[in-house]
Amino acid sequence: MDLKDKVPQHPSFTQHQQKWEDPSILDYSTRIGSPFLAFNQSHTSMLSDNRIKAPVQDGVVNQLVQASKVQDWDPSAMLDNLSFLEQKIHQLQDLVHLIIGRKGQVLGRPDELVVQQQQLVTADLTSIIVQLISTAGSLLPSGKHTLPAATPSLEQSGQFGGVVFPSAQGPLNDGFQPQNAGGSKVSGLPNSVDISRKNGNEQNHIIEEHELKDEEDVEEGESLIPGTYEILQLEKEEILAPHTHFCTICGKGFKRDANLRMHMRGHGDEYKTPGALAKPNKESGSEPTIIKRYSCPYTGCKRNKDHKKFQPLKTILCVKNHYKRTHCDKSYICSRCNTKKFSVIADLKTHEKHCGKDKWLCSCGTTFSRKDKLFGHIALFQGHTPAIPLEEAKAPAGPSDQGDGNQSTNKVGSMNFNFSSNVSSESEVQSSTDIKGSIDDPAGYFSPLSFDTCNFGGFHEFPRPPFDDSESSLAFLLSGSCNYPQKSED
Amino acid sequence: MSPFQSNKNILSLTEDILVRIYEILVSESDRKSFRLVCRDFHRIDSLTRKHLRVLRIEFLPTLLHKCPRLQSLDLSACPRIEDGVVSLLLSRVGPGSNSLSLGNWTRGLKRLVLSRATGLRFSGLEMLARSCPFLESVDVSYCCGIGDREAAALSSAVGLRELKMDKCLRLTDVGLAKIAVGCLKLEKLSLKWCMEITDLGVDLLCKKCVDLKYLDVSYLKVTNESLRSIASLLKLEVLGLMVCPLIDDVGLQFIEHGCPSLKVIDVSRCEGLSSSGLIFVVRGHGDLLELNAGYCLPELSTALLHQIKNLKHLEVIRIDGARISESSFQVISANCKSLVEIGLSKCVGVTNMGVMRLVSGCINLRVLNLTCCRSITDAAISAIADSCRNLVCLKLESCSMITEKGLFQLASFCLLLEEIDLTDCCGVNDRGLEYLSKCSELSCLKLGLCANISDKGLSYISSNCKKIHELDLYRCRIGDDGLDALSTGCKKLRKLNLSYCNEVSDRGLGYIGRLEELSDLEMRALHKITGVGLEAVVAGCKRLADLDMKHCEKVDDSGFLSLSYYSRNLRQINLSYCAISDTALCMVMGNLTRLQEAKLVHLRNVTVEGFELALGACCERVKKVKLLATLRFVLSSEILETLHARGDNHRSWCTAAQLTCCLILRLYYERQPLSCHAHGNPPSTEHRQRTVEMAKFPHYLSSANFFTIGRFIDGRPILVACNQPQVH
Repeated sequence: MDLKDKVPQHPSFTQHQQKWEDPSILDYSTRIGSPFLAFNQSHTSMLSDNRIKAPVQDGVVNQLVQASKVQDWDPSAMLDNLSFLEQKIHQLQDLVHLIIGRKGQVLGRPDELVVQQQQLVTADLTSIIVQLISTAGSLLPSGKHTLPAATPSLEQSGQFGGVVFPSAQGPLNDGFQPQNAGGSKVSGLPNSVDISRKNGNEQNHIIEEHELKDEEDVEEGESLIPGTYEILQLEKEEILAPHTHFCTICGKGFKRDANLRMHMRGHGDEYKTPGALAKPNKESGSEPTIIKRYSCPYTGCKRNKDHKKFQPLKTILCVKNHYKRTHCDKSYICSRCNTKKFSVIADLKTHEKHCGKDKWLCSCGTTFSRKDKLFGHIALFQGHTPAIPLEEAKAPAGPSDQGDGNQSTNKVGSMNFNFSSNVSSESEVQSSTDIKGSIDDPAGYFSPLSFDTCNFGGFHEFPRPPFDDSESSLAFLLSGSCNYPQKSED
Repeated sequence: MSPFQSNKNILSLTEDILVRIYEILVSESDRKSFRLVCRDFHRIDSLTRKHLRVLRIEFLPTLLHKCPRLQSLDLSACPRIEDGVVSLLLSRVGPGSNSLSLGNWTRGLKRLVLSRATGLRFSGLEMLARSCPFLESVDVSYCCGIGDREAAALSSAVGLRELKMDKCLRLTDVGLAKIAVGCLKLEKLSLKWCMEITDLGVDLLCKKCVDLKYLDVSYLKVTNESLRSIASLLKLEVLGLMVCPLIDDVGLQFIEHGCPSLKVIDVSRCEGLSSSGLIFVVRGHGDLLELNAGYCLPELSTALLHQIKNLKHLEVIRIDGARISESSFQVISANCKSLVEIGLSKCVGVTNMGVMRLVSGCINLRVLNLTCCRSITDAAISAIADSCRNLVCLKLESCSMITEKGLFQLASFCLLLEEIDLTDCCGVNDRGLEYLSKCSELSCLKLGLCANISDKGLSYISSNCKKIHELDLYRCRIGDDGLDALSTGCKKLRKLNLSYCNEVSDRGLGYIGRLEELSDLEMRALHKITGVGLEAVVAGCKRLADLDMKHCEKVDDSGFLSLSYYSRNLRQINLSYCAISDTALCMVMGNLTRLQEAKLVHLRNVTVEGFELALGACCERVKKVKLLATLRFVLSSEILETLHARGDNHRSWCTAAQLTCCLILRLYYERQPLSCHAHGNPPSTEHRQRTVEMAKFPHYLSSANFFTIGRFIDGRPILVACNQPQVH
């Protein structure tokens, strides 16, 4: 039989065949089942080890079963492997067809032939599996794009073997494991292959992911070897121009994409085709292009190509934002808080979303949008305390300014008189007295942190240094001083 | 001649010698006798006085002036203290205009108790904190208005070591952060019921105040994250985690590896805990002294027991509500030899044999709580009496199988017994009380629902247990004769419950009037008593602070009028279902200036006007009034608002002083009420004029004052109501 000749082709086949020469091999159904379950088991074990890897194999199975759909992403060696597998499967299919046909005709055949055929089928299956798994290992790193097809493909592979087993997800398969004692040796192999392949491709993989993540702005972490990429440096005027479309070859900016496409014609004939001049359909990037990185035109900047530790910028947008943020004036002022300034309008818009929500205020004047950030800040710096919000601070002080205390509080000199008059009524004391009491001794009254006010209390003729605007956020930081500026104006 | 004979008068002794003599006196009663001798002696007392607890704020300025060496000032009995008062106190004592020389009394002050001072705000607190340079301990618990600004004011007392802020409802993490940053020396902090505090605040506290030895975060919504922070406190000895529903075993795991000095932990009623959490705690802290795990365990598991076994120094264990097996008692008894207190309240599985095993090893036991361990009998009591000779407190509520035999054993051996709870122990009879009276140290005796005791039994107790200060006779068959004996014997009685002792009549209450120390009297549903009896009580018991006379329906206005006249120290009153009239209610509510809580439901003789009048007279100072819900719709909104504002759940910023400022006084008779018509004597314009004149001085005119003015006008009360707040 010609099939028999092909069996020794695979190096691992003989080894495995010998190992399986045990009594249980006579049971056909078990044997058919076991290699697949063994594969299956290895699959589940990997599933538990590393969840990213598992779908990869499913993807490969998918590709193998529908052999025509193998994508042309891989080197030719892979293609060879796959076509070999396809061939193998077709042969096996023929053999099984043959067996079925004969069974229908002759029932009383000698046992030797049946056994022989069974062995053949087993051997072929084994070799297919081994090949399949090793191929799968090599497919690993880029396999993640096939993730959505994972579950159905596995079911297809089960049908292909003639044994329908439950789709290999989770602990469902645990019940099968004792049955697979014989086949577990096979499962050892793909695992090791898998790991070695994985290590080889690790780095590449990470970089890929990084690129996806940092589309807009690459700050750190890119480790391109100098010289492997092309450095472009745009002029300052070019950067600050309100362009949004940039030539990928020379870096010139345009307001409209159509203008850019017209410009591109100057770079060569390939840009003159109707396809290139039409609106792009996001199909670029199939052919390898030279990696481009950008340099900041500002000399001395770390992003400048002459810098010792030059770190290139990834995209033109990065260049624009970097240049504006680092080397330009911050001309956009938040209209709400009037303090925060930005040079990139997008930053202002981001800030405006949260402006006013920075209600968490430290005694040092720093504001925080979140309470836990404020508390982290306070825990870090000695002597800093959270400031109490303005509304609350004014509420208790407000009403006490009203009433008959209003005139007397303005006259600092009259307060002692007021005291003595209050003494006569012990039970009912005006609420204004407490404020007067506080004026008496400002130096002792204010907290040590508010040293500016302390000075102020001591030397009235001194100009007030930083507290010109009593409405500023700092004014109420000084504990208990909320009434103070009003009175001192008189 | 000896020099002593020449000095015939003891008053010729110099001041410092008198001070020395005074300092030798230890007991409070001796000191009291000393200062009552004469003015000079009284002055000596004032000069050397270190602790002062003031009952009436009016006397505070003079008292403080006289006591320059004060170290501790307790104002918890004056809840009406406000910022203005504080400012007055601080300014008054200083001579002349120089307010820098504040009153001497603040110089040495170390401890300040301001508990329940709801009117105190940040300016007052700040003044206090600034003027007391050596302040170490402040108690502002139950000052519901205290929030972050007040906390900031307190934080300027940098030397603070102890701070109690229970139920400061407005305090948030920000305020706590102020204190944590300002008072770095803090050692003791209680934050019970400060519901706004979260993990962030606790975390910051633990980072800043590393010297904390005592921290109570009971009832807070803190999670395991807080425990992670708390675990970093190296000096923490006492940790209170009562009713922290968000804490679970993982949190206690942090405690296992942290808090190396932990001695006391209270995790009672923490729903999220199981015994494995407690195992963590016990495993990590072998020298734990106190473990309070009441109502947080379904049962005392063997694994936990195995860990508890290693706590050789354990003194207090409370596992209320847990199921416990007999063998567990054996283990505890054999290993925890130094146990002083065991709490087994409502434990399932406490048997005679279990108790016997327990007490066989724990001979130092002083407090044993067997509440609702219903299966124990005299045999267990005998074993307790036999082993624990130092027993001080024994709680046996609902242990109804106990009879006089058990009490005989107890009284024979446990002579130090001070407190025994026999509520609902039907087996106790007069004979039992006769035995029990041998415990002459007894100070607290609870006999509620003991149907088999009579006046005779009470007379045994009265004649021998002179130190009793708390007696519960709820639903006992006690009559006037028993009270006669009681009032002659137990002169120290402070708290008495006579509810549903139906035999008691006016004569009995006359005896009660002899108990001068009595401050707390509950006499619900005494159907025989009338105004005469009430008058006898209130005239005699000047210290009465809490009176419950619900369902005393025969008491008439004469009684209530005398109540309003005599009981000036009354703080709580329950008048529900009484036959009090409009006038009497107004008198009571208006005259009892220290009243804080009143229950006034189902007063069938009181009209809506009466309520309005009475509440108007007191709404500024009472904190809690219980009224029928329907009254909400008929009472004037001003009164309701004031009541809300002054209540315990105080949310607005108005202080009493500001409210007074904002009042427009409105005269009731302008509305033509019943009272004026009844007299047929409408007030003259002259009276009206006079009242309005007074209204020009709202600061001097509290509602109580106005009420007296009203009486002056036509002998009938006038309503003082607060209208819309007026801005001057």
